[in-house]
Amino acid sequence: MKQTKRNGIGTRGVTRREVFRLGAVGAASMAFGPFVVTPARAQAFNWQRFRGKELYCIFYKHPWIDEMVKFFPEFEDLTGMKVKYEVLPEVQGRQKLTVEMTAGSGGVDAWHASMHVEKRRFWKSGWFQPLNKFLEDKTLTAPDFDWADMTAGAVAAVTQPDKTISGIPTFVDPFVLFYRKDLYQQKGWRPPRTLAELEDQAQKLHNPPGMYGFVARGLKNANATPWAYVIYAFGGEYLTRDGKSAIGTPAWVKSMEWYAGMLRRFAPPGVVNFNWYECSSAFMQGQVGIYYDGVNFANQFEDPSKSKIAGKVGYAALPSGPAGHFAPTFTNAMAVSAQSRNKEAAYLLIQWATTKQMCVRELLAGVGVGRVSPWGHPEVKAKPKMPADWYTAYLESLKIGRAGLPEIVDVTQYRDIIGVGIQKAIEGAKAADVIAQTHKEFQELLDKTEK
Amino acid sequence: MANRTDVVDQSVAGASLSLGIRISRFGHRYARFIFPAPALLIVALIIVYPVFYTGWMSLQEWFASSLTPPKFIAVANYQKILAGDPRVRDAFFRTLYFTLIAVSAETALGVAMALLFNREFWGRGLVRTLSILPMMATPTAISLVFVMMYHPTLGVMNYLVGLVGLSPFKWTYSSKTALYAIALVDVWEWTPLIMLIALAGLAALPKEPYESALIDGASALQCFWYITLPLLRPTLIVAILFRSIDALKTFDIIFVMTQGGPSNASETINILLFNQAFSYFNMGYASSMAVALFAIVMGACLILMKVRRVGW
Repeated sequence: MKQTKRNGIGTRGVTRREVFRLGAVGAASMAFGPFVVTPARAQAFNWQRFRGKELYCIFYKHPWIDEMVKFFPEFEDLTGMKVKYEVLPEVQGRQKLTVEMTAGSGGVDAWHASMHVEKRRFWKSGWFQPLNKFLEDKTLTAPDFDWADMTAGAVAAVTQPDKTISGIPTFVDPFVLFYRKDLYQQKGWRPPRTLAELEDQAQKLHNPPGMYGFVARGLKNANATPWAYVIYAFGGEYLTRDGKSAIGTPAWVKSMEWYAGMLRRFAPPGVVNFNWYECSSAFMQGQVGIYYDGVNFANQFEDPSKSKIAGKVGYAALPSGPAGHFAPTFTNAMAVSAQSRNKEAAYLLIQWATTKQMCVRELLAGVGVGRVSPWGHPEVKAKPKMPADWYTAYLESLKIGRAGLPEIVDVTQYRDIIGVGIQKAIEGAKAADVIAQTHKEFQELLDKTEK
Repeated sequence: MANRTDVVDQSVAGASLSLGIRISRFGHRYARFIFPAPALLIVALIIVYPVFYTGWMSLQEWFASSLTPPKFIAVANYQKILAGDPRVRDAFFRTLYFTLIAVSAETALGVAMALLFNREFWGRGLVRTLSILPMMATPTAISLVFVMMYHPTLGVMNYLVGLVGLSPFKWTYSSKTALYAIALVDVWEWTPLIMLIALAGLAALPKEPYESALIDGASALQCFWYITLPLLRPTLIVAILFRSIDALKTFDIIFVMTQGGPSNASETINILLFNQAFSYFNMGYASSMAVALFAIVMGACLILMKVRRVGW
């Protein structure tokens, strides 16, 4: 009996070991297969290299993403891979992503990163897969990909202080001015060239409850992006040279008086809780004369099924302020997770999403891109989706573009701090008090997170 | 049986026991531990472990980074909660205030509705069923509907307010009224719960005190004040405590409607701790707030249990 048993165990042991050995060989051949077994394949770029793999991505809701996912079947045919993805509102999407990354699950292969929020925090946390080697690798990057075609601003926005590249830019979103072209024509006006002109026009258009002169975001956190325009126009800075808070200056107080004052006087009631969605709804309902926000939100204005003012919207670069002419820009990029088990396959996906062809498609759909060449593409010029002044406003704004948010670890908390300040000022608090409080809280935040 | 014992004895005698028999013997001896073990393990994994982990995290400073590990800072987070952070202090009192206004309105309305539905009238069953419908709806869906209804220029609420001759409100779109507007949603949704509990209490009340009071010439109001309310009190206290515990933890409707704004005017402890954890990734500090909230809700639960035992 003893004998039999030992034999039994022995047999099983051998089988198991054999299985392990086989498994190891199998895994190795699968992993190194492309290099070892068929060296010829390793020489040239091949979209089919990761055939059979499945990728999982998280995307934040945005017109760019809506357009891209339409072409996923084409990507799957091209590469033989499968793509699974979720599209979530930006804030919730980032929360989900953070939970996944913190847990180190490795489940997310790629995502559409908002560089203006995630750049420093995600880099410091080690969640971006550096792409430098992938971009140089001729077996991984298509010969016609053309990295040099990306705008300089976009490349700067995805490059970290240690020179690693954290993503491939999808678009650079400048803020531009939207105004009611029809009303302007009636009055014989041209788009405002200075802040004072803007204020004057808003005042003259303002005739509630049918027409409000001006709207921009009031909601905490969301309001920090249009706000960037005002502080640049008045000459404010986020940080001093030694990395301290530069908020407590007269420029910031003046900016606060201007922005909160404009919203208090000329915006629809309740603007204090308006995000871009409420702002653009009010604008598309024909309730508002002047509005400014991210240029890529504009394609819905021209959709007659959603907008009462399709064809009546004018586009222009934001007017200049006392301290100069700037447009805050916000760069998004496709990024590969450093925890992904399919980094190279995921790189193929983000590469495909940012090819010249895809960028042309985005432009044809009225969504701006971070590449240079698609803007001059004959097809784009032949059948523009957006009015001509949209394209001019976009390109002009890129020329005066300036990264809209401070490059610090906790951008979200900065946005909340200034966001609450703006809300308080809209509701009547004194600008100087609000700025003093914001300055104090921002410095405390820097002390805590920028060590 | 005897046969098996023999085998066992033999193998004992034969120096080494076969593995199967050893296992079955072990199983027999420790059955009372082995059988509940899977259930215990699951409870330990999904309840006990997270509670202790949160407690442990609350003593750390950690910004959810894969590169820098948590740093032990002992009770510094709690010190900050108790002394240093005005945002926490505001949120704490706001949470209490919100609970107070929501639950007192719910109680007053709930009892009134229960008294109404306790009377016989035509169509009572239907109206009673309709009136508990708000409770059935998903809070998130309700909040989204209210967001639209509260819109200062496009929403229906200001239209209704206009019909009774009042000037329009800004509802959730002003820091002065946001908390009340949210409390109104809570009241709309949860008054039926108090009504149901009070109705059950009313149904169980004896008839005799009313009859004797009627003979003594008591008015309806006196009957309510001196008989109904005291007799209903034990039931009501339980209902109020249930609602208070829920109201202290309110998250979904606030998160959907205002995310704690404008200017943090509707930020309760729960919203603040969510922001700390998932917007600022300040995990240690958020954990310490979670522990503090846990203590508050636990306190309320203890009061509830005490009240039930004493009977009041």
